[in-house]
Amino acid sequence: MHVASERWYQWAAALFIGLCTLAAVFPLYYIIVNSLAPESELAQGVVIIPHRLTWAAYRVVLTDIRLLQALGISILRTAIGSLGALAFTTIGAYVLARKGMPGRKLFIFMVLITILFNGGMVPTYLVVAKTGLIDSIWALIVPLLVDSWGLLVIKQFFENMPESIDEAARIDGASELQFLLRIGIPVAKPALAAIGLFNAVGHWNAWFDAMLYLNNPAKYPLQLVLRNLLQGLDFLRQNGLEMSGSSFVRASGDGLKMAIVILGTLPILCVYPFLQKHFTKGIYLGAVKG
Amino acid sequence: MPGLLKKKLRRYFSLYLLFIPVLLYYFIYRWQPMFYAIILSFTKFSLRGGIFGSKWVGFANIQRLFASYDFTEVLLNTMEIALLRVVIGFIPPILLAILLHDLKYRGFVRVSQTLLYIPHFFSWVVVFGIAWAFFATGSGMVNHWLTSVGKEPIEFLMSPRLFRPLIIGTALWKELGWGTIIYLASLSTIDPGLYEAAAVDGAGPLRRIWHITLPELKPIMVFILTISMGSILYAGGEQILLFYNPATYGVGDVIDTWVYRRGLLDMDFSLASAAGLFQSCFGLLFVLAANKAARRFAGIGLW
Repeated sequence: MHVASERWYQWAAALFIGLCTLAAVFPLYYIIVNSLAPESELAQGVVIIPHRLTWAAYRVVLTDIRLLQALGISILRTAIGSLGALAFTTIGAYVLARKGMPGRKLFIFMVLITILFNGGMVPTYLVVAKTGLIDSIWALIVPLLVDSWGLLVIKQFFENMPESIDEAARIDGASELQFLLRIGIPVAKPALAAIGLFNAVGHWNAWFDAMLYLNNPAKYPLQLVLRNLLQGLDFLRQNGLEMSGSSFVRASGDGLKMAIVILGTLPILCVYPFLQKHFTKGIYLGAVKG
Repeated sequence: MPGLLKKKLRRYFSLYLLFIPVLLYYFIYRWQPMFYAIILSFTKFSLRGGIFGSKWVGFANIQRLFASYDFTEVLLNTMEIALLRVVIGFIPPILLAILLHDLKYRGFVRVSQTLLYIPHFFSWVVVFGIAWAFFATGSGMVNHWLTSVGKEPIEFLMSPRLFRPLIIGTALWKELGWGTIIYLASLSTIDPGLYEAAAVDGAGPLRRIWHITLPELKPIMVFILTISMGSILYAGGEQILLFYNPATYGVGDVIDTWVYRRGLLDMDFSLASAAGLFQSCFGLLFVLAANKAARRFAGIGLW
């Protein structure tokens, strides 16, 4: 029979999956090792297993005012941005899930339009400028306040709510907001967790909007600072703010860059193992709508 | 009728009230830019006149766009890169998903899956940082190794020849694991009885894949393929903006990066808006066509 070929297949599958997994993880390992290896070792060649570990790079990173500032901005935009987006998106979804409401179809159509068609970089920039957000951290938050795709996903959850609950609550005299908070949110919880997480990751990872809308380097989020550093556009020098005393300028070795790369992924790496379930559920919700 | 509508409006009054902030958001940050895009594309924007006071020029911007020395090249680059991404990124996640589904050591599979999804959550900046650590000319791992065995270092990040393999390879690395999820979802619906029947019939793993697994995956495969054809004018501008440099503009410049440079660095708002409008309109047409094709060939569509 085919017992032998099945065994071969199992081995080949395990090997291939193992190699892919290694390819996914090894770069991360390599970056971590290089951020922890002493500069003297890095200068000698490729370091896979360091002889000695040092926190020197992290000490520099975590004592540099500008980097700490950038970290703070990233945390702030992620927290406010994703919570705000979750609130606005949920409210939008809740309202558009109410079948009897006049104008509902038109609103849904207008939301769909924004998924398929957008104004483009320049017109959006002009609107952000016109609303006075240039050079403000709000420029990174307000234009992303509603996640149209997430809205449609959450809307489906609200639509599946049994109408009897809806009626009962209304007879009780609950206001719309109370109803949303007490009954709507628990019903849509899995979708809310997934959409909130995706928005948080999006905010944490974003850099391009900051490059467009912010002029003052003191307001840059971590990803943009990292990008400038990697591209040799050290923003301290670029903007004529030569801070010769800053440890940042003195130690611009590779280990330092790697430490900042790690800092740029650390929050995601920390929460990912616990929240993986929600992330993967999110794609099921979004992608397998059929 | 008006009485009924009035009653309805009163009934939904608090709902409308709740909706106002969302409506304002859409009005200001989503619909207004579309409106601006149309106006800007057909006027000659001047700072003094502003958006509404600038001179109407008809299709002059579109003409200027296609007369400009590099836009046709940029358009070709965009479609080539987008197409390459689809062609090269299509098979690997399917293969990996089938193997993940078939492998019997479930503990190993679960750990692998967790690790395989991680790169998807890295920012492009971080991915660029990783690429830099491996491929930089001076201190990258590969070049360190090349010089240590006495070979010439390769300028991976500066070479026009290697630019496309570099961006497509890193994108594949980032999305390979995540791309398996949609196929795994489809595979999990296969009736295990089919597999048992195949085993009884004496079918080996390859025949099983060919006769059971692939037919099961076919609709979703066709769907993914056609839908990704819909984004042929979007070649991943954010990634390219990080990876390219003056040495690789020729092979890497795409509509998104071109719009950024001409629009926001050279401040030619009208030209850049016209390019953006062109991209949006044709992009929409392609998506509509792709959706229709997906419905027809795979039986599933985006809507």
